[in-house]
Amino acid sequence: MRGLLPFLASRLLRAAISLWLVSTVVFVVMRLSGDPVPLLLPPDAPRSEIFRVRAELGLDRPLPVQYAFFLGNALRGDFGQSIHFRQPAFRVVLGYLPATLELGLTAFVLAVLIALPIGVLSAVWRNSVVDQAAMGLALVGQSAPTFFIGILLILVVSLNFGLLPTSGRESWRHLVLPALTLGAFAMASISRLTRSAVLEVLGADYVRTARAKGVSEALVVAKHTLKNAAVPIVTITGLQFGSLLGGAVVTETVFAWPGIGRLAIHSIYNRDYPIVQCTVFLSALLFIAINFCIDLIYGLLDPRVRAS
Amino acid sequence: MAELTRRDVLKLAAAGAAAAVPGLPRAAQAQTTQKRELVVAQGGDIAFLDPHLSTSSNDIRISFNIFDNLTSRRPDGKLAPGLATEWKIQGQTTWAFKLRSGVKWHNGDPFTSADVKFSIDRTLDTTLKGNRVSTVLTTVDRVETPDASTVLVHTKKPDPLLPARLGFYGGQIVPKKYVETVGPDKFNEAPVGTGPLRFVSWTKDDKIVLEAYPGYWGGRVDFDRIIVRALPEMAPRVAALLKGEVDLITQVPPDQGERVKANAGTTVTGALYGGLYVLAVNSKRPPLDNPLVKQALSLAVDRDAIVKELWRGRGIVPNSMIAKGDNHFDAALPPLAFNPGEAKARLKKAGYNGEEIVIETTAGYLAGDKPMAEAVQAMWRDVGVNAKVEIFEYSVRAQKIRDKSFKGLWWSDPTSTLRDPDGMMWRLLGPGGPQDYWRHPEFDELGSAARFSVDEKFRAGAYKRMTQLFLEHLPWIPVIQPYEDYGLQKYVEWTPDPLQQLEIRRFNFKFRRA
Repeated sequence: MRGLLPFLASRLLRAAISLWLVSTVVFVVMRLSGDPVPLLLPPDAPRSEIFRVRAELGLDRPLPVQYAFFLGNALRGDFGQSIHFRQPAFRVVLGYLPATLELGLTAFVLAVLIALPIGVLSAVWRNSVVDQAAMGLALVGQSAPTFFIGILLILVVSLNFGLLPTSGRESWRHLVLPALTLGAFAMASISRLTRSAVLEVLGADYVRTARAKGVSEALVVAKHTLKNAAVPIVTITGLQFGSLLGGAVVTETVFAWPGIGRLAIHSIYNRDYPIVQCTVFLSALLFIAINFCIDLIYGLLDPRVRAS
Repeated sequence: MAELTRRDVLKLAAAGAAAAVPGLPRAAQAQTTQKRELVVAQGGDIAFLDPHLSTSSNDIRISFNIFDNLTSRRPDGKLAPGLATEWKIQGQTTWAFKLRSGVKWHNGDPFTSADVKFSIDRTLDTTLKGNRVSTVLTTVDRVETPDASTVLVHTKKPDPLLPARLGFYGGQIVPKKYVETVGPDKFNEAPVGTGPLRFVSWTKDDKIVLEAYPGYWGGRVDFDRIIVRALPEMAPRVAALLKGEVDLITQVPPDQGERVKANAGTTVTGALYGGLYVLAVNSKRPPLDNPLVKQALSLAVDRDAIVKELWRGRGIVPNSMIAKGDNHFDAALPPLAFNPGEAKARLKKAGYNGEEIVIETTAGYLAGDKPMAEAVQAMWRDVGVNAKVEIFEYSVRAQKIRDKSFKGLWWSDPTSTLRDPDGMMWRLLGPGGPQDYWRHPEFDELGSAARFSVDEKFRAGAYKRMTQLFLEHLPWIPVIQPYEDYGLQKYVEWTPDPLQQLEIRRFNFKFRRA
């Protein structure tokens, strides 16, 4: 395990720099985008009232001071008081996180469970009806906007066939449609990439050798192909998990799912700086953590990565 | 090997599209029910239950049912007794309220005049963190409580509309003892009121659950429990109604109304909005400082077409700056005229020379704002006006309201919170108001005199004359007074409210039972 510590250290440093950059960009962009106070008060509020609320929220201080406060507190996990909820932003966001994780993980698991076998089968039975249909569907899944898929599923599955509830978060039945909607894009990408990765390996010399020495086709695929095709599949799968967080914004709005995606949208409209900063910070942290894990998995899958 | 041809793909797509056409979820749905639970879906989330922290319609739909006011604005527009059974003015500046006896808070504490004084003082308290209603009762000087069932409210000047002010937001009565004991945060999380609904639980951004308060002075509501859900997207909200998951939905756009009505079990009901949709004008910017130009712009708007085409008939054409249903609305006045020939003539007379006239609009802050702006732009171009539409974002709009920096015209949806011109037109257009872009000495004098007069005859005369001045100078170009539509199951008997309250008290809500 030579070089594991420097490897970890450089990755961690990079992660920290990314986090700092992301939070600084959000801080600046939110402040460029407008003042929250006029949105909080009735239009006939007198000027004195506007100044009072600005002072109450700490927005009367110079920007560099606000930034210094923000960074110092963020390091301690304190993102300030939400303007809208009047509670610590971190606590508010944490309250919404379980719903998003539940939806995101379900979507992810569904996507992987469905996409991997489809991708492998499409490669093995290349140009068959299965392959054509699967890749056709994948094309739709990748190109149709999330809100369209969501509303289509609600209309067809829920309203026309009366199978599942239209929206809300109660039983597992409420989870199916949003998870399929959110997972559609990941499902499509993973199955397409799996197919091409497996196809590439199937054409390799060592596969021909395995076939030549009489290994059964099932074993060729399971043992000789999958492990070698795994590196790009793991990469795309990890990236897709990250992008699920972004997709959650639309899916959660369509299905009235009370998660951080919806919280983020509201908070952007309301100029609720602390919540937006906290949400973006946590999402970035999650994304970076996932990439970090992928890097480690690479190392396990492919010794050459560790060595370099 | 079966090749998938393009024709096959097209067939598949057609089958998918056919399946997507919304049909009946099931055979004719029930016209009566045995339900004991009411489920409502509204377009936005609840932010606050403490009534002093919010004026948002999503919040007041709940808070007006947890709490009572001294007076109560009914869906028919009339002011009815609430926690006060009667009220009268003593002299010029004192309103005396007689309180209802035997009322108890949801936690069993008795309701007294001390709660009323506490509530009004709390409304006025600018040190209350997050207070969003502190401007509502600024005419109040002080509150006295000579005994447990009498409240005297002294105003700084004569205030004819004080009972009306106390009937809307900022006027909800909160429990002194409970608020002081638990503090504002806990009070907002688990409120206690005197209203028909008692708080049970609240899952933010998802739903709120309330139950019938059996001891309500106005009679127990016609259900045991109510769940209010937030369904922000219109299509899923309508789908939830059609599927029968919810009993009542808010904000049904005109083009969806027909779909809801076509379904066997559901229907649409609407209230004429207590306010107007107007194009507010920055009358300081040439050429909009010229009344003739504004008259021409108004004459060039085919409001009937807007009502018919964009709103599918769900609205009426205004006749002035006073909304239908308000005090001093003049039913004898004709709707604002459409006359492109006359518009051209007045532009010519005004010496209009092709200067650019800009409508600034968001896409969706107001229902139909962008399509209406584009329609108006086309109508103005037809009479030779160099009209332009610029789209901006909600927060930019809010900023421009504060800075008074609009380029020309913008959409405004003034709400008539008091159902009186003073609470709408004068609040916004008066000197120093948020839409103060035009001044006229006679208009100002009359508006100010009417605000502080308790003589309704004098006020009627003042508003009549102000209407004449308004129609000549047009600081607003009123466009439509729309209906606000709700979708409901046919077994629900309920009248919607022009000011977006969800009135579910006994007199206004009933499940049709078999």
